[in-house]
Amino acid sequence: MSQLTVSLYRYNPESDQKPRMQEFQLDLPEGKDLMVLDVLALLKEQDTSITYRRSCREGVCGSDGMNISGKNGLACITSLSQVVKNNKLVLRPLPGLPVIRDLVVDMSLFYKQYERIQPYLINNSPVPSIERLQSPEDRAKLDGLYECILCACCSTSCPSFWWNPEKFVGPAGLLQAWRFLADSRDQATEERLAKLDDPFSVFRCRGIMNCVNVCPKGLNPTKAIGHIRSMLLKQAT
Amino acid sequence: MKTNRPVNMDLTTIRLPITAIASILHRISGIVLFVGTAFLIWALGLSLSSAQGFEQVSQLISSVFWFKFIIWGTLAALGYHLVAGVRHLLMDLGLGETKESGALGSQISLVVGVLLAILAGVWLW
Repeated sequence: MSQLTVSLYRYNPESDQKPRMQEFQLDLPEGKDLMVLDVLALLKEQDTSITYRRSCREGVCGSDGMNISGKNGLACITSLSQVVKNNKLVLRPLPGLPVIRDLVVDMSLFYKQYERIQPYLINNSPVPSIERLQSPEDRAKLDGLYECILCACCSTSCPSFWWNPEKFVGPAGLLQAWRFLADSRDQATEERLAKLDDPFSVFRCRGIMNCVNVCPKGLNPTKAIGHIRSMLLKQAT
Repeated sequence: MKTNRPVNMDLTTIRLPITAIASILHRISGIVLFVGTAFLIWALGLSLSSAQGFEQVSQLISSVFWFKFIIWGTLAALGYHLVAGVRHLLMDLGLGETKESGALGSQISLVVGVLLAILAGVWLW
C-alpha cells in the first residue's frame, strides 16, 4: 500500500459561499498504475457528495476534462505515474468556465463558440444518389482534425480564451472551423472566412500553444489557426 | 439556478509549458522596452541639449549603478523581444508549430535571449 494525498476543489452552490480545497488520504494498491478517474471513484466511496462528469472512461467521450496537478487533461486516460509528484495529486475544474459544482463546469460559452463556426458540411448542390465522394488525398486533409472530442481541455488552457471567451472562438472551435474549410465537399469557404474576419475571432491567438500542449488526442489547433490566418490573408489581397 | 458561479482562475495553480513562458516574456519584454525607450529618449534629449548635458549623462552612466542597469534592462528586453518576434515570424511560415518543435523554438529563443543579455552586460561594464 502506498499513500496518496489528493487535494480536491470543492464547491457546493447550496451550502458554500466560496470554493475551497479539501484534502483526502488514500491507500493505493501496490503494483498498479491507476488512472485519475479511478482515484475519483475511490474518493467518491469516502464521500458520496463529490461530483464530476464521466461516461466512457476511455478517452472517447470527453466528459472528464479537468485540471490535473496544473495541467488540463482527461482523468480517464491520465495515469497517476504521469502526474503525481511527492505523493500529491491536485484536482481542480477546467479553468475559466463557471463552476456548477466541484469539478463540473458550465460549458455553455465553449459550445456557443463551437456553434458559431457552423460545424457541419455546407453543400447546396443536389444530393447525389451515393455519398459525396472524396479522393484519398482530400480525405487525408481531415486527419488530425476530425478526431476532436470537444473535451474543452485546449480552450480552457488558452489565456486568449480566458480573457475573451465571448469574442475569441478558441482553439477547439478554430480546429473545427479549419476542419470544414479544409473539406473538399464543403462549398461555404468564403462565407465561413467572412464570419471569422475580425480582430478577435481568429487573430486573438498569440501562439502560446497551451492548446497543443494539453490536447489528450494529440491534435494541433495552433497549426489549424495558422492555416485559417493564411486563408484570410490571401482572401484579403 | 445560481447565477454568480465561481470560476477556477487561480493562475498560481496552473502549470505553464515552456511555450507559454516564452510568450509571456515576449509581452513583458515589450512593456519593458516601451518604458525603457521613454527613458532613453529622455537621456538622449538631455545629452543633446548642451555640452553640459552630455557631460551629465556620461557621468550618470559611469557613476550611477541603476542608470546603467536601466540601459542594460532595456537592451536585454530588446534582445529577447527581437528573438521571440523572429520566432513568431517563423511560426507564421509554419515552422515550429508542433508540440516538440514549439518547445524547441521556445528553448532556443530563451537561450539566445539570455546570451544577448549577457553580451549587453559585458559591453556596458
